[in-house]
Amino acid sequence: MTTLWDTTGSAVVKELAAQRRTGGAVLSGVALTLVVVADEDRVAEAEEAATAAAEQHPCRILLVVRRQIEAPVPRLDAEVLIGGRLGPGEAVVMRMYGRLALHAESVVLPLLAADAPVVAWWHAPAPERLQTDALAVIADRRITDSSIAEDHLAALRTRANDYAPGDTDLAWTRTTAWRSALASTLDAVSGRRGDSVRVQGGRVEGDPGNASARLLAGWLTSRCGCEVEVVEGDRRPGPSGVGAVLLQLDQDEEVTVRADRHGGALLTQPYRPDTKVALPDRPLGDLLGEELRRLDPDEPYAEALEAATGVQGLAARSAEREHVWFDPARPDDGDDRRRTEGDGAAADAPTVPGDSVGTDDVALNGERNADEPADPSAPVA
Amino acid sequence: MIVNPLRDPRDRRLPRVPDPCALVVFGITGDLARKKLLPAVYDLANRGLLPTNFALLGFARRDWGDQDFAELARDAARKAARTPWREEVWERLAGSVHFVQGSFDDDNAFDELAAALADLESSHGIGGNAAFYLSIPPAMFPVVLKQMQRTGMAESTPDRWRRVVVEKPFGTDLASSRELNELVDSVFSAEDVFRIDHYLGKETVQNLMALRFANSLFEPIWNGHHVDSVQITMAEDVGIGGRAGFYEKTGAARDVLQNHLLQLLALTAMEEPVEFSAEEIRTEKLKVLRAISLPEDLPTAAIRGQYEQGWLAGQRAQGYRQEEGVDPESTTETYAAVRLGVETRRWAGVPFYLRTGKRLPRRVTEIALVFKRAPHLPFADTDTEELGNNQLVVRVQPDEGVTLKFGSKVPGSVMEVRDVSMDFLYGEQFTEASPEAYERLLLDVLLGDATLFPRNAEVEASWAVIDPLEQFWAGSSPHPYRAGEWGPRAADEMLAAEGRRWRRP
Repeated sequence: MTTLWDTTGSAVVKELAAQRRTGGAVLSGVALTLVVVADEDRVAEAEEAATAAAEQHPCRILLVVRRQIEAPVPRLDAEVLIGGRLGPGEAVVMRMYGRLALHAESVVLPLLAADAPVVAWWHAPAPERLQTDALAVIADRRITDSSIAEDHLAALRTRANDYAPGDTDLAWTRTTAWRSALASTLDAVSGRRGDSVRVQGGRVEGDPGNASARLLAGWLTSRCGCEVEVVEGDRRPGPSGVGAVLLQLDQDEEVTVRADRHGGALLTQPYRPDTKVALPDRPLGDLLGEELRRLDPDEPYAEALEAATGVQGLAARSAEREHVWFDPARPDDGDDRRRTEGDGAAADAPTVPGDSVGTDDVALNGERNADEPADPSAPVA
Repeated sequence: MIVNPLRDPRDRRLPRVPDPCALVVFGITGDLARKKLLPAVYDLANRGLLPTNFALLGFARRDWGDQDFAELARDAARKAARTPWREEVWERLAGSVHFVQGSFDDDNAFDELAAALADLESSHGIGGNAAFYLSIPPAMFPVVLKQMQRTGMAESTPDRWRRVVVEKPFGTDLASSRELNELVDSVFSAEDVFRIDHYLGKETVQNLMALRFANSLFEPIWNGHHVDSVQITMAEDVGIGGRAGFYEKTGAARDVLQNHLLQLLALTAMEEPVEFSAEEIRTEKLKVLRAISLPEDLPTAAIRGQYEQGWLAGQRAQGYRQEEGVDPESTTETYAAVRLGVETRRWAGVPFYLRTGKRLPRRVTEIALVFKRAPHLPFADTDTEELGNNQLVVRVQPDEGVTLKFGSKVPGSVMEVRDVSMDFLYGEQFTEASPEAYERLLLDVLLGDATLFPRNAEVEASWAVIDPLEQFWAGSSPHPYRAGEWGPRAADEMLAAEGRRWRRP
């Protein structure tokens, strides 16, 4: 491990390369780069989770901690670890001070693993619009956590308004165990009937203010075509916010799955004895690991989010995100840089470009003059 | 028709979970059950891959109650499980574990078993579905199958499925395997029979299909125009353990060559299946197995060996004939190497060298494609002295992965080309613990997915390759080799005569 104080991005790149050479038998395969954005007080938690996830999916971990944006002098402190505290792979923990924190991508871009997918995870309240963080623009997949917010429901609405394919949320990941238990319960019912099952109604008992409970209800609504609400249960639910799920089926049948708060759930269905199924509360690293398993857009999440928030047309949105300059130090447009909020006006280019995407004219248009035909196969005069 | 509205093919997070069912294991107290099956059941439960209505039923001769059995099962699962131990998972599973005592020729015991299965329907809601795992010596198959037929346990109806899992050896030659197949097929219908070849449950073997058919890089050179020869090796460092009685009658060719190596050959040489389904893959494999030709010069191209005493991994190892329970004059082979041909347009003229042995220096299984040398080298002879053939090696175990071996310039002021290797290590890209072979195969049985199970025509085609070899070897003595070396000299000479040599795995 090496700690570099008041350093530069190039020094970090050099140090990483040097450590790879001298590190001996370290993991050389990198399937993806995981960029973690964390608050200072959540760094330890984020490190633990990222390490656990990296054990499942070898990746390069780049942990970005933004501090003291108002500090007068920009400064970068970096810790380069290979096969150390952060698991068997490569990891760089970067603390950025001052205006540099707004240009984190300038340090991150050269550190990305070549031609491998980039996953960004905010273990912090995520920006209202992910585009305003250049790290979200370079990422192929973006993981937020609406459960971190004070108001889960507002956070969910924000995510729905801002959704683009490739977004996902850990509040959704927390529902997987529930969803899997429910799906296999209906499998059992349809297996017994030898015929299809229809869900005619149902409810989720739990905390109506919990993002996961809302998403679970939203998923049921979107899959079953009937309204499923979250209602206050008699018992306080676990971290997933769900205490029980009750589904009314056709043929006057009913199934319930009720958490027993000991890592399991009791499943009640007609004509069959009650059974217990596993429904463990999963640690953060495990949730993150599940997110890294697949990097394609998660359509069921989009549908659940639509149903949970009432915001429509999520799946049809473009997966492309374009960086929007936003200066948290001057949120009200005090600078010559302007924040664009819904008014449709294009953002002015930042003085220091967020990243090279979209700014390299030669890369975008080829080496030609503006008056030349755009079609490269057309004859050049 | 949507059977279950909560199932969505796009929802890749939800695992494939089998229908409610029971798993009935005959010979539950045996080695395989304790070391592989019980831990695999626990791991499946721990990963949430077992149906909510599931029961495990053990059948053996010992006088045990459910409690004793549950304890044995717990110890066995805990000892060999690959996923972390979680007491609450086991407790849930333990509630569905039952034991039926009896011997295989005891009618009452089987009536009791049938009754126990019926009870499970009401107590555990298994929906009448059951998979029977025959973890018993093949000699017992007829008795057990007859009993199952008598009690009507083996019948699949539209409401329920009944499946049977059979372990190798599938017979000892073509005639006996036909007999066995007929017997099994007379009791179960052909699609309900699952023959386990645990090699096919390994992640790398399945990856072989991904490597070949998902990439555009390898397919153009995957043929006799570019491939010089193929070497398939399965080496074990262990001896025969306590299995002298079994091994004396079997030998390396029947034990390994007939099933594992020929299956690996089939997967390496097969054409692209029309789709990735059980039926299509088996069809392509069968075509290859039927196209295998034996060498005409059997004395030089079919070598068998037997280990003598020697040193292995720093320890003295005794010879095969000195092992307990082995005839001091035994002519059973512990090593077999053979050159086969595959008579198809793709592979005509390419030798497939297969070898397997016990007490070899290390445990390794790999498939190596050795490519032809470049037709012309513009370098001086001295520059390429150390350049060998390009190779693509699929490492099945250990260090699952793929190695590509090619020439590269040695840094310096002169032109010198030497072999280097480029490694893809499975565990580096995907450390996520891939399921153990038995775990995967057991799950496939419960799901009814037969992709990774050879069907009886494949087994018979494999015996058709082995039988002439066995006939040729009958009456001769195997070549001796020292424990701890890579097989008998004759096997090296077999390749040397053709200007090739075995790869050291």
